[in-house]
Amino acid sequence: MTGNLHRGKKILVVDDEKDVLLYLAKLFEDNGYGVVCASGGNDALESVERERPDLITLDLSMPDKSGARFYREIKAKPELSHIPVVFVTGVTGFGGSSDDTERFYSNRRQVPPPDGFVAKPIDPDEMLSLVDRLI
Amino acid sequence: MLESPSSGSAQGSFDVHKLECGRLFDEVPCYISIQDRSFQVLQANRKMIDEFGDPISQFCYAAYKGRRERCPECPVARTFDDGKDHSSQEKIFDRHRLPHDVIVNTRPLHNQAGEIIAVMELFTDITVQKELENRLQDSLMRYHDLFDLVPCYISVQDRDFRILEANRYFRESFGGRPGVHCYEIYKKRADRCPRCPLAETFQDGRTHESEEVLIDDMGKKVCVVVHTAPIRDLQGNITSVLEVSDDISEIRALQDKLALLGRLVGTIAHSIKNVLEGLRGGVYIVNLGFRDNNQADIRTGWEMVERNVGRISNMIMDMLYCTKERSPRRLPVSLAKVAREIVDLLSPRAHDLGVQLESEFSDNVGVILGEPKDIRALISNLVGNAIDACLSDQNEQKSHRVITRLFRESGQVAIEVEDNGTGMDEEAQSKLFTMFFSTKGTFGTGLGLLISQKVATEHGGTISVRSVLGEGSTFTVRLPLEAKS
Repeated sequence: MTGNLHRGKKILVVDDEKDVLLYLAKLFEDNGYGVVCASGGNDALESVERERPDLITLDLSMPDKSGARFYREIKAKPELSHIPVVFVTGVTGFGGSSDDTERFYSNRRQVPPPDGFVAKPIDPDEMLSLVDRLI
Repeated sequence: MLESPSSGSAQGSFDVHKLECGRLFDEVPCYISIQDRSFQVLQANRKMIDEFGDPISQFCYAAYKGRRERCPECPVARTFDDGKDHSSQEKIFDRHRLPHDVIVNTRPLHNQAGEIIAVMELFTDITVQKELENRLQDSLMRYHDLFDLVPCYISVQDRDFRILEANRYFRESFGGRPGVHCYEIYKKRADRCPRCPLAETFQDGRTHESEEVLIDDMGKKVCVVVHTAPIRDLQGNITSVLEVSDDISEIRALQDKLALLGRLVGTIAHSIKNVLEGLRGGVYIVNLGFRDNNQADIRTGWEMVERNVGRISNMIMDMLYCTKERSPRRLPVSLAKVAREIVDLLSPRAHDLGVQLESEFSDNVGVILGEPKDIRALISNLVGNAIDACLSDQNEQKSHRVITRLFRESGQVAIEVEDNGTGMDEEAQSKLFTMFFSTKGTFGTGLGLLISQKVATEHGGTISVRSVLGEGSTFTVRLPLEAKS
């Protein structure tokens, strides 16, 4: 267990997929982070105000687009805009949801880029080293 | 030049020199021949002699027709009989035995006592006209054969969209009585179509092309590519428009199958990715549990593994359903009964989750012919989707409900499922039936609607959606009522 290293650091995980929430929560908890989960953009906004996490992982391809809205809103609030955000994105190549991130940018150039990307299926080591670097 | 005949009973009393038009006789641009009662030629003009050889003293039927006896129908004989002018169409042969088509006019020649002593025959050569007439007839027949025999729909319409002419292929499929509006005949519409290649051709005089879906006399849909072309009068005005339509129903069906296959591949890739994520997470948590000897983690992880194995198995079943080639049985299915059973079955669970299921239909709304299992899957998909749309709605203010309606509509029965859940924006709606699509994150394979669409299509029906983001969606399936096989 590497838990002690990150004592007191809190991550907000935003994803509409229950299994992804469970997975990431377990991954972060096991590595010593505190974890808060939100299953949609509206939940997430409440959580971020209340919990003031040190980092957010955000699934952009949630059906109601609340992920993108959520990102815009926190970046617009000075007291929240410093929190690093990692986008969790679909795999490139099949299906279509992969270019969600790309589309998000081409539509909103005035929004700052996220601090990192992790593609699904999530590689735990890749996720941890990214989070480690950002916090 | 006129000469006296060397023999003949009328010779004495008939004196051509008395004819004031002697010169004319030779120079008129037609053949002239004068016969006596025995059909012997007394005189012939120069033109006749030049073309047909000297016929004088021969029998006219021998000289002009090469016959051994008089013709059964003879205008000369009739003129001798009744003293009147007669005319007929004949075929005569010149000195080279080439046939000439002629119009014959006969006229009696009298002596001073008023007796008919000879009959004058005037032949107008119409060989060239006859030839042209034959050719015209020929091309008309060929044109009609082409018109009727080509295996595509051909019709000619006027500015009022009335059918003036239609080929056999068209008439066999659509009836196509002349005078009826084209849109009534093959679109079963009361008004003209909003976009019409025919109207465009009338307007700009160019050919136009479009793809249309026609409905034949049996109610079957026919996909066609239509080409239009203007038909002009001698002044160049467009009087009507020709419409030629190729039946591409089979190509379209193949395209649909290919598109379905493409969508399946996309859907499978997407779904597998999600399942993989779940399996990976589950395995990770199980491993943590083993490492820490934590039963709770092992259970949580194992549940994730089980859930995702279940998803793969559902996915495979759905995929098999989508790809299987078969035509549904045609058993009577009471839609009201099936819908009632599904609503009753899902109601308690939905109620616990805060969604009210309502039914708005009477039990005798109608019976369709189809595969009962498919119809059940179709309705339960729609109702299940509607419940899910309510459950994923984060708007706490709404009291969520799903209304299932059945009603009749112009020979069809409509199944309508309305929810006041999340609703979809236009982008989501446009993707709905064209590619894999799931708004349900983990739990949708994206195949449910594909299956619903497949069932609707296989039963000769359609599926459509109206939706407003944040307000809800209404899915409508229309199926033919007691469709005949």
